[in-house]
Amino acid sequence: MSDQSFWNQRTETMPRAELAAWQWRKLRTALAQARNSKFWADRIPTDIRSFEDYVRRVPLVHKKDLVAAEEVAPPFGLLPSIDPSAGIRYHQTSGTSGNTPLRTFDTVRDWTWAVDMWCTMLHGVGVRPRHRGCVAFGYGLFIGFWGMQDAMMRMGCTVLPTGSMDSPARVRLLVDYQVEVLGCTPTYALRLLETAKEMGIDLAVDGNLRIVITGAEPRPPATVRAISEGFGAKVFDVAGMTELATVFTFECPARPGACHIIEPGVIEEVLHPETREPVGYGERGVRVMTGLGREGFQIFRYWTEDLVIKRPWHECGCGRTWDWYDGGIIGRADDMRKIRGISVTPVMVEDVVRGFAEVREFQTVLRSDRGLDVMVLRIEPNDAETATATLGERIGAQIKRTIGLQPLVELVRPGVLPRFEAKAVRFHDER
Amino acid sequence: MTSGELTEREERQLRECYAALHELAATCAVPAVRTAARAAVAEVHVALDGQALEFEMYTHRWLAEGHERGRG
Repeated sequence: MSDQSFWNQRTETMPRAELAAWQWRKLRTALAQARNSKFWADRIPTDIRSFEDYVRRVPLVHKKDLVAAEEVAPPFGLLPSIDPSAGIRYHQTSGTSGNTPLRTFDTVRDWTWAVDMWCTMLHGVGVRPRHRGCVAFGYGLFIGFWGMQDAMMRMGCTVLPTGSMDSPARVRLLVDYQVEVLGCTPTYALRLLETAKEMGIDLAVDGNLRIVITGAEPRPPATVRAISEGFGAKVFDVAGMTELATVFTFECPARPGACHIIEPGVIEEVLHPETREPVGYGERGVRVMTGLGREGFQIFRYWTEDLVIKRPWHECGCGRTWDWYDGGIIGRADDMRKIRGISVTPVMVEDVVRGFAEVREFQTVLRSDRGLDVMVLRIEPNDAETATATLGERIGAQIKRTIGLQPLVELVRPGVLPRFEAKAVRFHDER
Repeated sequence: MTSGELTEREERQLRECYAALHELAATCAVPAVRTAARAAVAEVHVALDGQALEFEMYTHRWLAEGHERGRG
């Protein structure tokens, strides 16, 4: 009997040694192609003999290196491995960091591969032909959920693109079409729930969502619980990158939090944030990515800044021989801030705040007050009338207990704080 | 369909289909046919890749062969 949980049983369950050999064969092809790129040809020796040799001799590349290479001759500069006029679509990074976006392009071949990576993910979490899906994002230059849209079409699902719609229109659509699959950021999933509540709609009762796919932001367990309960659906984490064109990891239905790496399409190293030496299974480190799919815009040993903890494949039990990230992307190395000697990330704060059902939205601001670092937490309650002063005290106490830092908590009126559809920016360092 | 693995016959069919499409995609002068073949090559290529049978970069060859921008 065919095991229908796999998109490609062959490469999802192949023995590790065979998988490594297949990855090496693909890497060799990709390295040969990279000779056509001025940027990569200057960085990568011509005589790489093995994966170990590759890791030893190919330097890490950072986003600023890629952006600089593009700025030599915009839009793509020294990076392309083929003529960019063969590209059928252009994308660029979201620019939420405030820096120059990185621009990329995909050929027909590249985009078909990128969509197939999404198919691997969607099939893996239970999406099947004839499912009705809704992709709730802006459909702009940011690559976001474009791949999900095309993958659902390719799989024979019915997909509702909602690029120009506002949140009430999307909520109505979810109910009217009894949509079963939703893709969006975790922040926007919460926003839809908030909107539905304002409209007097309980999506867990009136809707038909079975699978909510959230990506593009780290999401702590409290956020996942809120989304799952609000929609009455299973929530699966997915992560992708414009630099790769597509997704590289997805959460396995067999084990919550186990985010399998789609290893035939990507080689993932995990390095210590400071020493840059490899860390072992179970140790936190920075993800370093090599893409095995694109022919035009290639990527080799990319220092992503994503913090991850890798676990071995056999600890999942689903049958895939792909290693996995425990909890997906758990933060960003460049998001880590020191406040009075304590390391704090946005996700740490969010995990505490989302544990309070009375909170609708929040914002964290780091300030320097007469030379002393202060964390200010601006909390927007669900209802200003019923919010009590103890809410601020309780949140402050929980932050102190969990993170070890006493914040200043300010309650603000509902609707004051910004809402986000794409990547949320709730953490501001004004020091 | 009784297995999650390809049969030998299916594997052969997939390879033959890829080779035929590849040839059409590279040489056919009819824009509609060439375009359809190129889209189909990409689709079959991911199927071969997913089965660990074949992996290649190929668009640059078509560029070099001068079939782009109406010159074919």
